[in-house]
Amino acid sequence: MQASNVLNYDYSVAKCFTYATILFGIVGMLIGVIIAYQMAYPELNYFAGEYGTYSRLRPLHTSGVIFGFLLSGIFATWYYVGQRVLKVSIAESKFLMSVGRVHFWLYLVVILMAVVSLFMGISTSKEYAELEWPLDIGVVLLWVLWGISIFGLIGIRREKTLYVSIWYYIATFLGVAMLYLFNNMEVPTYFVSGMGKWYHSVSMYAGTNDAMVQWWYGHNAVAFVFTVPIVAMIYYFLPKESAQPIFSYKLSILSFWGLMFVYLWAGGHHLLYSTVPDWVQTMGSIFSIILILPSWGSAINMLLTMKGEWGQLKENPLIKFMVLASTFYMLSTLEGPIQAIKSVNALAHFTDWIPGHVHDGTLGWVGFMTMAALYHMTPRMFKKELFSKKLMESQFWLQTTGIVMYFSSMWIAGITQGMMWRASDQYGNLEYSFMDTVSVLIPYYTLRATGGLFYLIGFLLFAYNMYKTITSGKAILSEPQNSSPMQA
Amino acid sequence: MFHWLERNPFFFAVGVFLVIAYAGVVTILPDFMESARPVIGTKPYTVLELAGRQIYIKDSCNACHSQLIRPFKSETDRYGMYSLSGEYAYDRPFLWGSKRTGPDLMRVGNYRTTDWHDHHMRNPQSVVSGSIMPAYKHMYTNNADIQTAYAEAYTVKKVFNVPYDKPNMPRLGTFEEANKEVMKEASAIIADMKSDDVKEAFKKGEIKEIVALIAYLNSLK
Amino acid sequence: MNMESIRELQAYGYIFFTIFLVIILYSYIYHLYKSEKDGKRNYEKYSDMALHDNIDDVPVEKREIPLSAEKEK
Repeated sequence: MQASNVLNYDYSVAKCFTYATILFGIVGMLIGVIIAYQMAYPELNYFAGEYGTYSRLRPLHTSGVIFGFLLSGIFATWYYVGQRVLKVSIAESKFLMSVGRVHFWLYLVVILMAVVSLFMGISTSKEYAELEWPLDIGVVLLWVLWGISIFGLIGIRREKTLYVSIWYYIATFLGVAMLYLFNNMEVPTYFVSGMGKWYHSVSMYAGTNDAMVQWWYGHNAVAFVFTVPIVAMIYYFLPKESAQPIFSYKLSILSFWGLMFVYLWAGGHHLLYSTVPDWVQTMGSIFSIILILPSWGSAINMLLTMKGEWGQLKENPLIKFMVLASTFYMLSTLEGPIQAIKSVNALAHFTDWIPGHVHDGTLGWVGFMTMAALYHMTPRMFKKELFSKKLMESQFWLQTTGIVMYFSSMWIAGITQGMMWRASDQYGNLEYSFMDTVSVLIPYYTLRATGGLFYLIGFLLFAYNMYKTITSGKAILSEPQNSSPMQA
Repeated sequence: MFHWLERNPFFFAVGVFLVIAYAGVVTILPDFMESARPVIGTKPYTVLELAGRQIYIKDSCNACHSQLIRPFKSETDRYGMYSLSGEYAYDRPFLWGSKRTGPDLMRVGNYRTTDWHDHHMRNPQSVVSGSIMPAYKHMYTNNADIQTAYAEAYTVKKVFNVPYDKPNMPRLGTFEEANKEVMKEASAIIADMKSDDVKEAFKKGEIKEIVALIAYLNSLK
Repeated sequence: MNMESIRELQAYGYIFFTIFLVIILYSYIYHLYKSEKDGKRNYEKYSDMALHDNIDDVPVEKREIPLSAEKEK
């Protein structure tokens, strides 16, 4: 502690992660826009030799937005929300302070190394778990550091009961730890054979088993990175920004347990009609439908929190971001279970409808909520008014248009292609060659990429707004209680 | 009891962990043994094929191509016999993919030739008009990594008892023996190719990535 | 032990643990409403943890601060 006797929350780590969120957000989304245009215009593959092809960029896009943008967003909000709802400053413990700093720097090193290795094509091929074993160890280390930070801060808390957001952060920590460890079990080949590349490894599981473990991971990585921590955020930021208590705290903890229990079963829906046992597929399908309940429990709880306060939607763009986020949460948690119904999946699987669904969730729910959280935190961390409300409004509409373009084009593209693949003529022969089913999609690919571009431009506006706020925003004297102060 | 749990982070965490771990134990463990049993006739990959498989992974072919044929008439008509679990017994990692931007490759070895791949990888549009697949020219200049491929084969043999060197199974032996086998396989593939640069390089003892990749694609049947 | 009996055990394990969790869930719901009705505890007031989260706000339920944290101050 410095000379000042007044105890304050310490946001230095949260600030670092905020910068990282913006940086990796720009990189990850930019790569996303590039690969989206590559699908419409294949010539774009050759701007950087072998390193600029769709092949190398696609894992970079997914890993970049998940582990770069979103994970740093989760960490940033943790180092902000954690202190506040536990009513303890991280600066009260020198140990936790240093853990936080090491956590950030190790995170940065691991992510930068991940970027380099994915450009080089060093990959295990498993979706969202492409990193090879040396980097996996780095990820595990930084995860342990985060765990120390969570439980350390909880250990010195003033508030006896844990707020529901903390529950969700704990679940994120545990869930990802378990999933990541089991899915990345691999044997480094160099240490067994003494030759070849030292960083190469081979998966511990083979074939169908590997697929089951991977999609148990893949599906739940979505749960524990794209859903659980975002719910943690909205349960703090929406009530705080709107000055409304959560509609029903009891409902929030019930849907917590529901989500925890049900989510993990649903991974099988990625493997319908594959060679995994039938009962696993059926189980995956059924639990996906049940999953609507806890998901909507949280979403409806959020929307009802705004009951009687809808006027705020007009005055405060942040509320608008968060309400739209919960609406998209409802949309994608309904869309997902529909796609998990076996007969729908027979049509939808392997088509563009799937990336379309993913982006409903990520752009609408995850992206909007993360940006709203950072917008809320910045005036309080930097003691500045947000730079421009007008800019936020234009960002909101630009990005919303982008999302609508994205999912509508992918719905049409996916269903079209699925129908064409199975179409047969009067003699029972296939009606279309594979190439026919690709050519017809090109306009939709262009539309999708342009939607993505809109979203990216919106994100750049966000970055600019944040930059201006931090560098030249109007200073505020006392911390705002609820709605975030912003200039017109 | 419930309220006690809400204030005790450690036991709370244990509770959460039990609830989330339960699904994995029930859905994944039971069929682990059964799913791993190979179908009669399934053989592990040769070293050259493995080198090709590593290139397939390096350039994320699995981001756009699946290797999983579902049991529908429209799929078996287009790609061949539907997939069986035991056919993947030696696939580490599995490469089913999750998106078919391009067609399924599970049995591509049955209906595409070395020559076709040779032209296609250099310039996809020259073979399939309107294709949106990128060309992979760097596969004609980069050398295949035979050592790492051998390391992988050796590792799975030692650690997972993959049946190399068994009767009617691919030979592995020492690295020198394996390398000789690789050169023999490679020369058979190169004989069917029209790329002069690849042929020239092979005379100097170099095996380009494209050769290994084609060996792998031809093995998919 | 052969495959069949392992499977049987697994099936029993699955059923009983699921029933156990369902009972826990329903008694939790019961507990939430009952403790509120009896006036023992008001879950809804926990929302205030987010609304009044300044470091000098009074905690909803105060906890004794461990010695180590006190020393740092």
